[in-house]
Amino acid sequence: MSKVIDAGMSDELAAREDMIVCRGVKKWFGDFQALRGVDLTVKDREVMVVLGPSGSGKSTLIRCINRLEVHQEGDIIVDGVELSNDVRNIDKIRSEVGMVFQQFNLFPHLTVLDNVTLAPIWVRKRPKAEAEATAMQLLERVGIPEQAAKFPGQLSGGQQQRVAIARSLAMEPKIMLFDEPTSALDPEMISEVLDVMKGLAQSGMTMVCVTHEMGFAREVADRIVFMESGDVVEIGTPEHFFTNPTEDRTKLFLSQIL
Amino acid sequence: MTDITMPPPVDELAPEPPPSGPVVWARENLFSSWGNALQTFFFLFISWQILSWLLGKLVAEERNWDAVLTNSRTFFTFNYPLEQFARMWFSLGALIVAVGITLIAFGFEPRVRTSKIVQSTIGLGAAVAVIGVLTPVSGSWRLGLIAVGVAIGVVAWLAGRALPDGQTLPFWSLLVGFAVFVMVLVWIVPWGQNEFLDGEYIDEPGTVNITTKQPWTVMMGLLLGSFFGARALARVVPRRILQLAMIVWWVMGPAFLLFLVLRDPAFDWGYVLAVDIPIALAFGLGGGALLYWLTEPVRGEIARIVGALLLGTAALTWILAFFGVVSMLQKIRLSILFLALFALAAATFAGERSVRLRYAGIWMGFVALTHWLITGINTPSTLDIAAPPFIGGFALTLTIAYYVMLASFPIGALMALARTSTLPIFRILSTTYIEVVRGIPLITVLFFFSIMVPLFLPGEMELSELAAIFIGYTLFSGAYMAENIRGGLQSIRKGQFEAADALGLTTAQRTAFIVLPQALRVSIPNLVGQAIATFKETSLIAIVGGFDLLRVGNQTVASQPAFLGQSLTALFFVSFVYWVFAYSMSRASRSLEEKLGVGSR
Ligand SMILES: Nc1ncnc2c1ncn2[C@@H]1O[C@H](COP(=O)(O)OP(=O)(O)O)[C@@H](O)[C@H]1O
Ligand SMILES: [Mg+2]
Repeated sequence: MSKVIDAGMSDELAAREDMIVCRGVKKWFGDFQALRGVDLTVKDREVMVVLGPSGSGKSTLIRCINRLEVHQEGDIIVDGVELSNDVRNIDKIRSEVGMVFQQFNLFPHLTVLDNVTLAPIWVRKRPKAEAEATAMQLLERVGIPEQAAKFPGQLSGGQQQRVAIARSLAMEPKIMLFDEPTSALDPEMISEVLDVMKGLAQSGMTMVCVTHEMGFAREVADRIVFMESGDVVEIGTPEHFFTNPTEDRTKLFLSQIL
Repeated sequence: MTDITMPPPVDELAPEPPPSGPVVWARENLFSSWGNALQTFFFLFISWQILSWLLGKLVAEERNWDAVLTNSRTFFTFNYPLEQFARMWFSLGALIVAVGITLIAFGFEPRVRTSKIVQSTIGLGAAVAVIGVLTPVSGSWRLGLIAVGVAIGVVAWLAGRALPDGQTLPFWSLLVGFAVFVMVLVWIVPWGQNEFLDGEYIDEPGTVNITTKQPWTVMMGLLLGSFFGARALARVVPRRILQLAMIVWWVMGPAFLLFLVLRDPAFDWGYVLAVDIPIALAFGLGGGALLYWLTEPVRGEIARIVGALLLGTAALTWILAFFGVVSMLQKIRLSILFLALFALAAATFAGERSVRLRYAGIWMGFVALTHWLITGINTPSTLDIAAPPFIGGFALTLTIAYYVMLASFPIGALMALARTSTLPIFRILSTTYIEVVRGIPLITVLFFFSIMVPLFLPGEMELSELAAIFIGYTLFSGAYMAENIRGGLQSIRKGQFEAADALGLTTAQRTAFIVLPQALRVSIPNLVGQAIATFKETSLIAIVGGFDLLRVGNQTVASQPAFLGQSLTALFFVSFVYWVFAYSMSRASRSLEEKLGVGSR
């Protein structure tokens, strides 16, 4: 585990409560080590952007946070609940952490409305009428209420990703994880998804976003994390990252991507 | 923005489509090169030989098609008593009405392109003409056939040229056409009147008997009536309700018809009222109330505990029965087992009032269905049917095929899920079951269940032979069903599982709402293939004593004094019947696939 350069955060942010705490998180796929002891704290209502070259372990890290992957060493504490093999903790965390995938992963056999209401009805045990009313509000928020009766296959990529965001929000999560939400989209659709994410950030959602959209990172992020080869290399505010990054590896990566 | 208006782009004319038509097609596909032409001639010659040999067999001197005409009733219902035949007609009528309503309920009213009808008719004409050329019949017959075939083709061709392009016909016109066709068959075509009257064979010219004409006329009336009636109904009743009603009917209805066909009015209603119905009511209502209580979200763990207790009770009833300690009707034991499974799943499907009511409702429907099936299939007929104590002929073929497919479906789905489960014990059990069963020929399974199992059963347990065959065949078919459904399960992408997990769905919810619905859709072609295979393989029950369609043709008809040695004639007919049904099934599945958009997502 190499030394992490932590350029700090604003006092206001530092004063908030911890929402996600990772301590020495290690993860292996067979013999291959994908995470080499990640230490990271995400504050309440913070927007954290995770950067890094392909294969650096960004997806693995955020997938460990809602236990789509199981880490082998270290601790992950989400909203005060420690992730362990206790099924009840996993269920609790999953229903409080929303996740948006690169490939949308909408349920193709269900209408947009059913995609959004499924989990509230069956996991939260909401009455159907109430769940549908909430779902319509969410679809309005992401700008596609008129598509409610369609099937995912009939929508554009940008629309599908917005449905996927609405589907996660319907569970009223405290935290949202985004794994490259715009990477599978045609260029003209990227901004419609980013706009929804910006709105969400302004509403005070705690967000961890893996993304290569530098404009979004500069404008919205409270802190940026740079990862490489399973390690967190550098953490800091957007100003720090875009004006005087410290690590050579960070500089190199930013010069390639900007 | 400035006001620059661009002239709209002008479309260029699309290029002429390349010439098409039968001549072009033949040149490109059959005679594209010397080698190709040679192949074409070779295979034409081979097909020519085979066809004329086959047609020769069909019209040969020794073929006596009266064997089929005379025995049409025997083929379909074997020795079902004539004076009770109204029940058969009633059942057929009920099925036809259900078909009519189902077509409407599921919106199956495709418009048919006239060009397609014209093509098929030209094809028919060509086929008649070719048959005329190939069949070894007398010259006048041959000329007649060729003339008729050419006439059909030419008329259809002329009609096709006169009709405007792209015209379509509504679906009902096909139904009407079908009804008219059947009416022509029974009222006009001079089949001749053949029958056995008091053991004596009677053969007179003329059209078929009035006892055939009347019911078929009524049936066709029912077909059209139910179709148009359901159309009117669909304007008042929401489609979803019609669909639900028809699904319930197709699952429950055939058992009711079987009951109707096999029970005479002297049926022991006292027993039914005193035993069967109270048991069903007790489980249905009592279990429903229990499940309604258990599915309240606050119940949580209690549901699992109750389920586990019930499971233990069910196991105990079997163990005790095996040692002859407690005797109890089999269906009570089964019902306890099923109730235990429903209770175990209760926490998963907990929810608001309407959800809980639906869960209890599904349980009651399930109880009603299983008790129907058990009673319907496990009690011998009260009708005075000779020798094999059940219906026979095509009715038996259809009954077995239908029940086996219905019952093997849940077994297959469960086994497929178990085999893909992450729990090793489930995986090992289901893999063993599937691989063992798939390694054994069906006929062995049938022998085992019809002969061996009744011997092993403890004293007070009874199993009718048909029930034994049914159980064996269902377990056999379930293993193949499992493999077909597993194929569908494997086609579901990992992202679907992850999305469901990320939303916090439990494994059971993920399976029921996300994985299975998609997997079944993908498996439809394979499942229909299996349904067709199951339907055809019912012919094996002849070997363990059933009088199905094949055995009636091969044995019963061929041993009648008037038709001694006509088994080949009967077999031609039997093959034709199998083919018509199997082919319709595969066509129906193709249009179902198109409707559900399999493979085009
Ligand atoms: N399921 C898996 N099995 C084996 N190796 C994996 C698996 N998932 C990811 N990896 C490996 O772990 C490393 C980190 O992957 P990932 O977290 O997806 O990177 P990123 O999202 O930063 O591109 C990569 O080298 C990848 O090949
Ligand atoms: Mg990734």
